[in-house]
Amino acid sequence: MSVKEIIDRCEVLFEDVNFTSAREWKDAKPGRKVVGYLPIYVPCEIIHAAGMLPIGILGGGSDLEVIHGDAYYQSYICRIPRSTVELGVTNRLDFIDGMLFPSTCDVIRNLSGVWKLMFPEVMARYFDTPQNYRKDIGGEFYKNDLRELIESLEELGGVKVTDDDLRNSIEVYNENRKWVNKVYQYRKDKPWKTPSAEIYLLMRAGEVLPPEEHTQMMQDYLAAVENEERRMKDNCRVVLNGSFCEQPPLGMIKSIELAGCYIVDDDFIMANRMITTDISTEGDPLENIANAFLTDSMPFPSKFEPSEEEKGLYLADYVRQSGAEGVIFAAASFCDPALLDQPLLYHVLDDQKIPYIAFQFAENSGQMQPIREQAGTFADSIKLWSAA
Amino acid sequence: MVKTVGIDVGTGVVKVALFEVEGDKNEWIGKRVERIRKRDPYKLAEDTMDDLLKENGLTRDDIAYIATTGEGESLEFHTGHFYSMTTHARGAIYLNPESRSVLDVGALHGRAIRIDEHGKVLDYRMTSQCASGSGQFLENIARYLGITLEEIGELSQQSDDPEVVSGICAVLAETDVINMVSRSISAPNILKGIHISMSNRLLKLLRATKVMEGDVMVTGGLALDTGLVATMAEGVADPKNKVNVTIKSDPDSIYAGAIGAALWGGFRYEKLQELGQLQEAS
Repeated sequence: MSVKEIIDRCEVLFEDVNFTSAREWKDAKPGRKVVGYLPIYVPCEIIHAAGMLPIGILGGGSDLEVIHGDAYYQSYICRIPRSTVELGVTNRLDFIDGMLFPSTCDVIRNLSGVWKLMFPEVMARYFDTPQNYRKDIGGEFYKNDLRELIESLEELGGVKVTDDDLRNSIEVYNENRKWVNKVYQYRKDKPWKTPSAEIYLLMRAGEVLPPEEHTQMMQDYLAAVENEERRMKDNCRVVLNGSFCEQPPLGMIKSIELAGCYIVDDDFIMANRMITTDISTEGDPLENIANAFLTDSMPFPSKFEPSEEEKGLYLADYVRQSGAEGVIFAAASFCDPALLDQPLLYHVLDDQKIPYIAFQFAENSGQMQPIREQAGTFADSIKLWSAA
Repeated sequence: MVKTVGIDVGTGVVKVALFEVEGDKNEWIGKRVERIRKRDPYKLAEDTMDDLLKENGLTRDDIAYIATTGEGESLEFHTGHFYSMTTHARGAIYLNPESRSVLDVGALHGRAIRIDEHGKVLDYRMTSQCASGSGQFLENIARYLGITLEEIGELSQQSDDPEVVSGICAVLAETDVINMVSRSISAPNILKGIHISMSNRLLKLLRATKVMEGDVMVTGGLALDTGLVATMAEGVADPKNKVNVTIKSDPDSIYAGAIGAALWGGFRYEKLQELGQLQEAS
């Protein structure tokens, strides 16, 4: 398969706000269930172990006209809950049997309540990840949370989830994460071969495909891209930060790269690489999933950082690990977690003399000229005036 | 010395400059400008560069760094792209080392850029989306008046009683001009009125970037409009405009973006060489 064929397929999946592929998966076998989840993170292993398809609901994208959704939210709330409500009331999510709303922010948390009122026939749960990382406190809390989730899924599917089911799904997702990380590493090594718009589409495909199929797709992509001749350009290398929930329009990612910046790391979709190591398949699988989050999960703004000194250092680490020369903060308008964290992250970057710029977007932002201008001048300032 | 090319894809015109560069030394060895005239600008840019290279007995393999600017970022064969402010600033310093600000007036918009002696951008302001301060607007007016673009400057300087046009909106300004034609206002007076309106907008941009003194290099396609340059010089002489600057233009001002791109390309070539990343990026 060529790169173009793979990315064309990803683009079709990305643009399809009717989720045709997930509908087809569900219709292929009687009794199949689909569970949607909002950003940033849920342990998909558990949904998969219940024999269900987990799919990421990442808003309505740039082309969805939001009419009903606006009626539910004040003007100072971001766009993702509006477009998610719009997807719901326009029956685009009518095939979904369950919805999980993680503890990303107040808006996403409260959307779980809105969903229960609007769609009482759908299993809707607020999914709370711990903010205390001691195994005997946060770990116990989280294990109970995971048990409750399993019970809900068992009730929904009418099938018991065994430890072996969980171990099998952990293996599937370990393999998927391995290839997600390989793709990200490949982009760090050869960003000119892997435009970020392609990587983004490839990762978005994983939000609606079964993980086994997505893993194969990433393997095919890396094999195809290695054989494709693509010229390296004299671009600067940047880490993009702040787009972990509401997603930017694809045009914004393309504009940043066209303006002369290789995005060598990002936080667009974190669910697929939140856990940074393989989860063990030995022993109690539920405990292993819980412990992986406590000790081996990526830092992100909705996760409490107990040490003030440590806060935000991860971003400087990402810059170093990816060989980046600067950071572009691109947060969704009114995104509390991203925007409240930004001053703290600026502080870390200032201390370490890492240049950065910041702008905001909405998933339907159409005017890219100001972003091109900012990213272009940022790239020039790094290439022409930095000390390196 | 290595050879570098700068390609400036504008809204109305493609400009290509060919340089030899080594450290602070450089030599301009070739240039070419082509109006786009409904052609594919990217194909035109590629053909124009290839023609210029051929004219100089060169091929793309002889070029160390192909730099694009303006709308040229989509040209696949480029080595690097620079934002147009960055390149116009460098081009202005090349054309006149005393430049401390740039007025880049192209087909679609005008932009004032404050720079330092190295061509580093310190501040800038652009006209808004409205096109009445742009070359495209002036082209439309020339068409209504039945004159060529080359005649505009000279005719404007023959004006004895300029008619003021709207300084804000291209649509209103065009309506103004149509009314003036029906009132038998002469072409020189109409053109001078337009130049005054454009000049006022551009000088406001200069003030907004806190440019108060020094040489202002006019770049972009309208730098060749002698009527506009003369009107701006009159504008800065007017104490009420509160800008103590000298308006400068150069016959090669239209190439400022391409010149800047080629020179920055040379700079980056040497920097990449230092960093050991040259082979990969060239």
